[in-house]
Amino acid sequence: MLDQSELIRYNRQLKIPDFGEEGQNKLKNARAFIIGIGGLGCASATYLTAAGVGQITIVDFDTVELPDLNRQILYWEEDIGERKVVVAQRKLSRLNPLVQITPIFTKVTEDNAPSIINGAQVVLDGTDNVATRLIINSACVRLGIPYIYGGVSRLRGMVTTIIPGQTPCLACFRPEGAGGLGVLGVTPAIIASLQALEAIKLLIGQSPALTGKLLLFNGDDIKFRVYDIKKNENCPVCSPIALKQ
Amino acid sequence: MPGFSELIIVVNPTQEVTREGMLSIVMPWLYAPWPHAREKGIIETEIDGDTLRALLAELSARYKAANVDFQPVNPTTNDLDFDYDVFVNGKNYVALAHGLDAKLKDGDTVKVKMLWRWDG
Repeated sequence: MLDQSELIRYNRQLKIPDFGEEGQNKLKNARAFIIGIGGLGCASATYLTAAGVGQITIVDFDTVELPDLNRQILYWEEDIGERKVVVAQRKLSRLNPLVQITPIFTKVTEDNAPSIINGAQVVLDGTDNVATRLIINSACVRLGIPYIYGGVSRLRGMVTTIIPGQTPCLACFRPEGAGGLGVLGVTPAIIASLQALEAIKLLIGQSPALTGKLLLFNGDDIKFRVYDIKKNENCPVCSPIALKQ
Repeated sequence: MPGFSELIIVVNPTQEVTREGMLSIVMPWLYAPWPHAREKGIIETEIDGDTLRALLAELSARYKAANVDFQPVNPTTNDLDFDYDVFVNGKNYVALAHGLDAKLKDGDTVKVKMLWRWDG
């Protein structure tokens, strides 16, 4: 049940057909994890908090630095030197005190990933490197937790929603590519907003749109292109043979 | 021929290049989206010129006509776009004597890899 203050706070989204109080209640009881609270994570965490996702766990091992401030919108000059998860928890709790924000200050590794994300209904990608993403992907596949990949560089970004057992996983593509190419602040905001939208749809029981599809955003020509993607039958993570091992 | 996230082009192959033997094509939109290739499952293309750059330009034009974003050579910089890596016979194009203007010969294999995005 939603109380009077919740009915007022979420008034605009309660008016959306197929969302309503039932959807809001599902969000209220939902548990989302955001791994990496940088450019992507700050934006997705802000929108999930504002939307009223009941429990949000944010995971990061970094502290706020000046070069973060062009895109990591939860951090301001006064926060430099502080742990990102602590600052993010403080700001997000002020945005919506009804949401329980749990900060975890740690680096995600192959060993700790399953225990960190255990219990999540959805994991949103906010990391900045391929190695960590593949670790999260693998843990999500093993635990059957939906994982929403998002990645950016410069003015471009990509998103796909991975549902273990149904869609291709990140490892299906043997993905490659360098990081550290530079990022304009609005690029992760756009990509993370799409990740948050996919997460919300998933949490209220609607079908996410980017399952089995890869969305490519190109900020140069301001175009979104969506392409079908298929499972790799030889995938080292999600193929039936890999899952038996 | 794309197997996973790669497009592999064989210059003047002695045999037809087909989908046969591929366990799965995870990025099917890269697989020759022009109509006759879809029907036959075979990529055939001729290029005006004999360089790597000419090949990539021809492929870009074909993909563009099929409304697929595939443009390895950035038209503004005239250099390889950071979305892609290109290999000729397994060697990165930057290691070739003439880079993108390296001449291709019969039997050469050109591999184009689409790169993913990892910053956050």
